[in-house]
Amino acid sequence: MSFILLIPLLLLAAALIVLIGRDDTRGLRAKIAAYPIGAAFCGAIGTLYVVAVQGPISIRFYDPGSVASLIFPIGFYIDRLSAIMMTLIAGVSTLIFVYSTGYMYQDRHMRRYLALICFTDFVLICMVSSANLMMLFLFWQILSYLLYLLAHNHEHAATLKGAFNTFTLLRVADAAFLAGIVLAYGVYGTLEFQELFARATERPVALSLWPGIDINAATAVTLLIFVGAMGKSAQFPLHFWLPRSLYAPTPVHALLHAGIINAGGFLINRLAPLFGLSSTTLHVAFVVGTLTAVLGASMMLAQNDIKKTLGFSTIAQMGYMIMECGLGAFSLAVFHLIAHGLFKATVFLNCGNVIHKARQEPHVPHVDQQEEKENFSPLAWSTGFVTTLVIPLVILLVTHGVLRIPLLESQGTVIFLFFIWLTSSQAILTLTRLRAIASWKVSSAMLLTLLFVVFVYLFAVESFTAFLYPNPVEVASYFQAADLPNWLFDSIVLMATIMTVLSWCYLYMQAHGRTIWMPTWVSRWIEGGRNGLYVLFMNRLYADELYQLLGRTVMRIVHRFDKRERGWSR
Amino acid sequence: MIDATLIPWIVTGVPLLGAGLTPALWTHPHRLMTWSVGVCTVSLASLVGFAGFLTTPPEGLLLLFLLPLAAGMSLLGQPHHRDHRASWVLTLIFLGLGLGALTSQPVVDKLFLMAIHGFVIVLLYRHHTPLWPISWWGLGAYTLGALCLLLTLVAAPPLSSMAALLACTILLPVVPFHDGHLTALTRLPGNLPSFMVLLFPALGLHSLAPIAATLPDSVVWVMSILALAGTAYGAIKALAQSRVRLLLAYSSLSFFSMLWWCVVTTRSVTPRAALFVGAVGLVMCGLLVAWQIIRTRYGDDVDPQAISGLASTMPQYAVLLSLLALAAMGLPPFGVFAGFMGLLLSSTAAFSAGIVILVCAWLAASWYILAFVQGLLFGVRRTDLRHADLLQTELVSLIILVLTLLALGVIPISLFGPDRTTPPASANSGSFAWNR
Repeated sequence: MSFILLIPLLLLAAALIVLIGRDDTRGLRAKIAAYPIGAAFCGAIGTLYVVAVQGPISIRFYDPGSVASLIFPIGFYIDRLSAIMMTLIAGVSTLIFVYSTGYMYQDRHMRRYLALICFTDFVLICMVSSANLMMLFLFWQILSYLLYLLAHNHEHAATLKGAFNTFTLLRVADAAFLAGIVLAYGVYGTLEFQELFARATERPVALSLWPGIDINAATAVTLLIFVGAMGKSAQFPLHFWLPRSLYAPTPVHALLHAGIINAGGFLINRLAPLFGLSSTTLHVAFVVGTLTAVLGASMMLAQNDIKKTLGFSTIAQMGYMIMECGLGAFSLAVFHLIAHGLFKATVFLNCGNVIHKARQEPHVPHVDQQEEKENFSPLAWSTGFVTTLVIPLVILLVTHGVLRIPLLESQGTVIFLFFIWLTSSQAILTLTRLRAIASWKVSSAMLLTLLFVVFVYLFAVESFTAFLYPNPVEVASYFQAADLPNWLFDSIVLMATIMTVLSWCYLYMQAHGRTIWMPTWVSRWIEGGRNGLYVLFMNRLYADELYQLLGRTVMRIVHRFDKRERGWSR
Repeated sequence: MIDATLIPWIVTGVPLLGAGLTPALWTHPHRLMTWSVGVCTVSLASLVGFAGFLTTPPEGLLLLFLLPLAAGMSLLGQPHHRDHRASWVLTLIFLGLGLGALTSQPVVDKLFLMAIHGFVIVLLYRHHTPLWPISWWGLGAYTLGALCLLLTLVAAPPLSSMAALLACTILLPVVPFHDGHLTALTRLPGNLPSFMVLLFPALGLHSLAPIAATLPDSVVWVMSILALAGTAYGAIKALAQSRVRLLLAYSSLSFFSMLWWCVVTTRSVTPRAALFVGAVGLVMCGLLVAWQIIRTRYGDDVDPQAISGLASTMPQYAVLLSLLALAAMGLPPFGVFAGFMGLLLSSTAAFSAGIVILVCAWLAASWYILAFVQGLLFGVRRTDLRHADLLQTELVSLIILVLTLLALGVIPISLFGPDRTTPPASANSGSFAWNR
């Protein structure tokens, strides 16, 4: 099974091919380097097949029992999760590299850039195939620094500032991750994944924070590690490095949004058995994820720059992914990150064309919306009614009866179905503009498409879950650990229902020129609130300004301390 | 067959003999430099050859090998100028005395240490200027250190033990005895700061090893508080510095204070501690050499913020400085990270407020080191400045330092001495106390 080692080595070789040689041959070397990357992708597919058929592969260059070797333990553990991630990373990397060779052709630092891209792929592959928490952390940190270097144009002041902020913020998350590792080793005496999970499961340990205040060790460890994941996956309030890094070349974004940012989701999945032991951490993940999803999506709607819009869209999607983890649906999070990664890479690699076209052609983006006669359509109303109220009921029944997903025991699944409902309702409203629909054919096609998409999605997710976590008991235990208190669960479901129905009605009526009567002061208040929220989200919650203020305050305190203290800096 | 008792004298004698022969080359700075580097190489080779015959101290033999390496690299990073000749010869003398202090039996090692203190006091006095009145504090610290060493020889316990501990706090800096460290790194001439940043802490750790296990509880408590205060103080002061040497001095103070905390809480000095001291000393040595390269080109009092964009004009320098900065920020796969993780993982407490402070100081290093390096390497290129990339000797010096730091990060510690660290009590059910 040693051929697996070739996958990262091929990426390293590609980096060296690009880096070493005369400058006049850099174009040729860049083309040659694409082959080892492609070969790494083929190797990753082969690994996925081998792992799926024969089970996990473990290669260790150290003795897990020896303390002395713990400082730099190089080893690979490739299970289905690792193999899937390797395939995704290697596949996206191949496309991005080939794209980059053309995109960066005339850049004078092309060689450095391409080598860094290959090296980042190498680090990512090593990270997802790590045999222990220490090795994972090693590559995790190197990735933080690579994100700083990948900003590329270090002569541009704004790029440099963004890169510095990215690195320092990621280091904050890294520090929490480090604390989590130290605590895990202190409590469980190992950083080997399987042993760590076994010890944490067998012997629960309580940490005494203060006399009378105890915390479960698994909760403490996972909370600290979760902060590490929050940093890489741009979760609120550690999200703002992502929009700031948008000055980097476009292919870097494709790699960032399709690969690097998924590190948080991967980390939680890798440590799923440990996270599954702590309901508190899962609930925290649910709250943080939900908040990030809502805020990210809201900020995305208010941006006027295509890259920023996509950046906040990614933040929202990452929030959604973390929320899925918080609900115990670890496999769904991986499914989501793969789908999102592929989608976002495509979009980013395309956005350059759109910008270019918009600069060249005055009619792009097209303005083809025509004013329609405002009239009430009973057919459209019926379609909306069926979409929002009847279909969810059908989905619930079919899910429960045909797919045999035990909804009553699984809060997470119900919440996901609600999200599917919300998303599809939103899609119907946005994409088809109900006021334009006056044909039963369109309505039927729309409803059937919706049903088809939802069931295919459910089927795909179920199959993927069975592939990633073949033991259904394990999956059920994660859902169980993530169970919310009943009152909270009921409130969420009720609130989601009310909000969806009301929003749908409001938007529908507005689309037909009808208004809901309300007192003038309420209308003014709503209008003012809407404007205020728009400004707030357009300015990204003033997070940049707040962090700058925080940084300035810290430095002011530091300088004041420095001046007051008798010392050498006087 | 050589008598084992003679070996410490041989390893001490090689650099001292080399220093003794330098007057013959005094008028030829280039040859003197080559000779000094050659002596360091021979010294390293003799240590490797005799390593099997030396008594292995609790911290292992790593620091012994690193001293001639650091001395040689600090010499190589210097420009060949006649003004630096004295510092080259002094480097050899300090190397000889340092090796003597590390390899000799008790009592004799104290005499070597006193000789080192004596030389430093004289040097600091000679280079004292009224512009830096604060350097009197440094002179005072080394005088106190020398007196403490004298006391350890003549007084009886517990006075001698306390004096030994005090002497250690001056060599391996911790607040409030850190003035000597700051003075040495900012006021010593030529390449000496870049060598002393490893020599003194190495000697301090070696002196601490025999007394660490015997420290009373109250002393451990006081020292752990001082160590944590030093860690935070060093990091905060480093954040505020604009002068590079001071930044590095405070940064190293912060890192060495971390080591103090780990040593006093575990009451043991292990090869992991030596790895940490060696790696931090070596990375600071590298950064001081790198800064010396800038000073050679742009003047003594150059502001690092005033020079920018070196990444495009001095690419070799930029790559090597970036790697040194990575190591100084405690990033893998370099020795500082390995040493830091080794210390944290061998800590007796499962988790404590102390570890939180250590991790915060480690985080702060990413801020101030990156700000310093970024200011030099990136930003708008200064076209009004003349740029010259590394000379061959400077290049070799920095490459060897980076490679050594890399090697320290990946090779097993057990290579330099038996690691007696035991893994933590693994997963006993029940309760762990948060060690406040």
